[in-house]
Amino acid sequence: MIQLVPIEVTVNGRARTIEVAAHHTLLDVLRDDLELTGTKECCLVGECGACTVRLDGQIVDSCLVLAVEADGGEVTTVEGLADASGALNPLQQAFLDYGAAQCGFCIPGQLMAADDLLRRTPNPTVAEIQEGLAGNLCRCAGYEQITEAVQAVAGGRDR
Amino acid sequence: MRAFSYERPTSVADAVALLAEHGPDARVLAGGTDLVIRLRDGSASPTVVVDVKRIPELDPAIREVDGWLVIGATTVMTEIAADVRVRRRFTALAEAAAVVGSVQIRNRATLAGNLCNASPAADTAPALLTYAAQVVAAGPDGGRRIPIDELFVRSGVTTLRRGELVTSIELPLASPPVGSAHVRRTRRRGHDLASVTLACAVDASGVTRLAYGSVGPRPLLVVDDTGVLANPAAAESERAAILEHMFAEASPSPRSMRAGPDYRLAMLRVLGWRALATAIARLRDGRLAAGE
Amino acid sequence: MSALVGSSPNRVGGIGRVTGSQAYVADIRVADVLEAKLVTLDCAHARIISIDADAARRVPGCRLVMTAADLPQPVPRFGPQFRDRPVIAVDEVKYHGEPVAIVVADSNDAAEQAAALVRVEHEVLPAVVTVAAALDAEAPLVQDPAIRPDDPRSSSNVLREHRVGWGDVDASAADLVVEHTYTFPMVTQFAIEPHAFMAAPDGDGIRVWSSIQHPNWLQRILAEVLRLPLSKVRVIAPDPGGGFGGKQHAKLEPLVAFAALRLGRPVRLVLSLEQTFQAVRRAAAEVRVRTGFRRDGTIEFQDVAADYLIGAYADIADRVVGKGSYPACGPYNVPAARIVARSILSHTTPSTAFRGFGYPQVNWAVESNLDEGARALGIDRLEIRLRNLAHKGDAFIPFDTPADGEWDQSVRKAAELIGWDTPTPAGHGRGIAVGIKSGPTTGLSHSTVRLLADGSVVVFAGTSDMGQGARTVFAQIAAQELGAPLDWVTVVMGDTAVVPYDQQTSASRSTVLMGNSVLFACRSIQAQLRAMAARLHGLDESEVTVDRGMVRIPDRELSVIEVLKPGLGRLGGELIGNGEARKEAEPGHPLGGAPAFFEFNCTAIEAAVDEETGDVTIVRHVTVSDVGRSINPLQVRMQDEGAAIMGLGHTLMEHYIYDDAGRIRNLGAIDYRIPTSMDLPLEIVSETIENADGPGPYGAKGMSEGALLCTAPAVAAAVRDACGAVIRDLPLSPERVWRAIQERATNGGREAER
Repeated sequence: MIQLVPIEVTVNGRARTIEVAAHHTLLDVLRDDLELTGTKECCLVGECGACTVRLDGQIVDSCLVLAVEADGGEVTTVEGLADASGALNPLQQAFLDYGAAQCGFCIPGQLMAADDLLRRTPNPTVAEIQEGLAGNLCRCAGYEQITEAVQAVAGGRDR
Repeated sequence: MRAFSYERPTSVADAVALLAEHGPDARVLAGGTDLVIRLRDGSASPTVVVDVKRIPELDPAIREVDGWLVIGATTVMTEIAADVRVRRRFTALAEAAAVVGSVQIRNRATLAGNLCNASPAADTAPALLTYAAQVVAAGPDGGRRIPIDELFVRSGVTTLRRGELVTSIELPLASPPVGSAHVRRTRRRGHDLASVTLACAVDASGVTRLAYGSVGPRPLLVVDDTGVLANPAAAESERAAILEHMFAEASPSPRSMRAGPDYRLAMLRVLGWRALATAIARLRDGRLAAGE
Repeated sequence: MSALVGSSPNRVGGIGRVTGSQAYVADIRVADVLEAKLVTLDCAHARIISIDADAARRVPGCRLVMTAADLPQPVPRFGPQFRDRPVIAVDEVKYHGEPVAIVVADSNDAAEQAAALVRVEHEVLPAVVTVAAALDAEAPLVQDPAIRPDDPRSSSNVLREHRVGWGDVDASAADLVVEHTYTFPMVTQFAIEPHAFMAAPDGDGIRVWSSIQHPNWLQRILAEVLRLPLSKVRVIAPDPGGGFGGKQHAKLEPLVAFAALRLGRPVRLVLSLEQTFQAVRRAAAEVRVRTGFRRDGTIEFQDVAADYLIGAYADIADRVVGKGSYPACGPYNVPAARIVARSILSHTTPSTAFRGFGYPQVNWAVESNLDEGARALGIDRLEIRLRNLAHKGDAFIPFDTPADGEWDQSVRKAAELIGWDTPTPAGHGRGIAVGIKSGPTTGLSHSTVRLLADGSVVVFAGTSDMGQGARTVFAQIAAQELGAPLDWVTVVMGDTAVVPYDQQTSASRSTVLMGNSVLFACRSIQAQLRAMAARLHGLDESEVTVDRGMVRIPDRELSVIEVLKPGLGRLGGELIGNGEARKEAEPGHPLGGAPAFFEFNCTAIEAAVDEETGDVTIVRHVTVSDVGRSINPLQVRMQDEGAAIMGLGHTLMEHYIYDDAGRIRNLGAIDYRIPTSMDLPLEIVSETIENADGPGPYGAKGMSEGALLCTAPAVAAAVRDACGAVIRDLPLSPERVWRAIQERATNGGREAER
């Protein structure tokens, strides 16, 4: 018997009232119920970070959060980074300018983690960037370019 | 994932009642970083999941009460690793909390959950053992304080009774200050489960407390109160003998995927020396916190 | 206009990747889609006795449970080399994770629930999962001998033996012979996007979505298996979220297609990461190398015996063995050689293509053995390589493509960047290794380019852009040749109904083959522009040249638009150019053709070893690749660094762990370790040598695999140089390095310095 639980959650600034299955994760609900497919599914054990979202001011692996736990909360996904007119935020632009995206599959998670890092540490060292993004695996191994992009935004540099 | 019913009690009493009622068919959900994995792979198949994060009595803020530093059941690793009091007085715990998984994991994983999951490799357990922490639990027959070294039985099993819920983990502020350190062995520099995890604390009276995990069914605490280990001027052979004796009960599993038993035993010694040296240096220099 | 080729404009298609709007297969929403889950057994080898799906079918929302019995009989088999893989397991499960049934339901929950209720009565059988076990005289046969009736090896687990050689190895007079055996583990591609497939009936045909690197090849396989004409099979191939070879060939698309046709509705199957690990991997290998040297370090002979452990079905694995072992002697002049490489079947995940395509395994062995010789002879390890290195034009593999690069430039550059001649800091060690990989041996890439009335451009090119940046490269070429701004170029890929035929995306071929195809298509348009200008200005065509978006007539220069607009006139329209890049097969050649180019790389490493724990720190990682011409230098660097770091994975931490019953123990991301951002070299330097001497556009060669070929031998050499630990079995995990250090101690102290 699947228990359906009504929840209220603000996603990318928009208040949503939805019914979710108790055993569905926040990742499931974002992708399948809300059709926000920017957040990706990969390892489902909290190792790869492809499912990273911002929940109540912290980045989390959404594959390890039950959707019901987000009731009353605020979620930001990669789709919420650009502004209302669609203009890319500085990190997104930097990722483009520094070639940080290869196949792109890890990039939504990397952007959420990088965004979080810069909020906590506006001028991170390379070591702090690597540690801050260590929860986001990239098999194309574009780590150098991702780091450069984050540094560029932190330093306010142009390419 | 199999379906289950989700309960969100708003008081400790209600949570305890649920746990008492359902016994092994109920699982506590705090951070979810262990439980959700088990729910998905079927190694946990509860009928009821009890989310304890909306219980106001379980304050996530770390606070000082009656000579104890109180870490609530819903306090996450990120807060523990960043707390100035933990970093100064209980350095090994801050260091351990800082290496549990990634930023994303640490923002959710709780200390209580780490302990109740009872993995022999739990990184926070050795530190808590060296500090003689206490686990406070509420239960159907009232509350009790469980010394940390009476909590672990073996992998996945603690001494918590049916219906009991950990409400806090408490560290004694009145104990003499120590120099302490946490070290571990992993397969890569990136986040990993430890194949050896170890903490060491040395106090001004020369007592050395050393605890280690992932080399047996439960984390172990060993104490040297001769003062020899804590004394860097003592003969190396004498100190080595004491350290050897401390590791006598280590029994790493031959079936582990993460590392073979002989490597683990060798690393126990290597890490033991390193943690001991760091603990002594920190006590001596008064640089109690890493990076201070 | 400024040259686009050789600059690094932002990635075409990059915006979708940074906004999350990029649709990978699992993101594509199709109305009325049903969800599928697989039923597998927890064993490596079993005989299927019966399958009871009654309880499963009763689950509300369950629409179909399909097994071998529900497919056309005999169950169709497919594969890029042999038609050996059945659409679903028939009578036997031959590897841990081989699907036994597919369940299709209204929702993931219902499909999961139903799949858990399918009862498969089975008898577990002994499994062979190592070379030794597979070759044992008593070993169970992985394949039914009846499949290869004329093959003398059909009563063994040796699928094929490849022999390459020249000169007379046994008559060689070497002053020193060094012989060792090296092993390379089973590793998996671990693209961050797990495999995903979707199929839907499409009129009287079918539409199939897949994260496939070779859409046209998949189309062919599906057409054959489903008995449909090619024109009724449409393959949609969105950009894969990483491929690395693991997504080259058909896996579960035929099964999903059958399910969709049975149900008359779209069916979607998204694999978990664990299932992906069970689906694809690299061949493991045991390589015995016997190298003969003269006293001055020149190589007299190479005698290489490579046993590759492939999986239960051949996939493309035997081609990997043949092609990967072919240049086993490396980029050196070797007077006599004998290379014997075998594909050995086992009850394991079918190995398939993986960046490097069989060559990293032998290079690990051959380069390590070369170092052994250098040490024994007291010759510097850089010097011995320069001494033997083939020079441009050398027929270093007789009757094959001669050495096609100034390879010594890459080696000297790498040596300079690592500071080879400077003193090594205490506790550090250095290693250097070279490698080549054969480029495509045959090839066919069509493309169509359309120059639209306003000067904008559409390029149709069937390459799969899985991160290497093919889309951008083709856009750059078209923009440059036709004078369009880069953001006025649209590149269409990944749809067999719309995009002309491309053989495949692999072998680092696409910049060369598809790039040339696009270039030829642009030249065709340029020719049409020439004719147009001649007509408009009353000139002879020979008086008109078109070069990079400018049309030159005797007295002035016109832009493309200034010719195009009046040229198209009232009717408007567009100019269409088709390009074909073709490399024909050479029937006498052991590989079917000589390679179009070689990818050459030199990697140099400086490492430090914590001798108490076995931890290896890569202090400096230098990679230099001979690329001909970088069309997009940033993308080249990204691919080179990416390959280098991926190489660190199998060098330091990656391997499947099996239990005694042949089941994979470390499925999933927790216990299969790949490099994270914290596992990078302290410093990584990637450089290129560009002599415009490649067969591709503007002198380009292919690249992206080179840096992965040399990582392991260079790192192991640096580790040995640092602490004397001798390791011949990858990965160099901390535990293994520690163990080698202990063994070094019992063998009597540190090895001599380099």
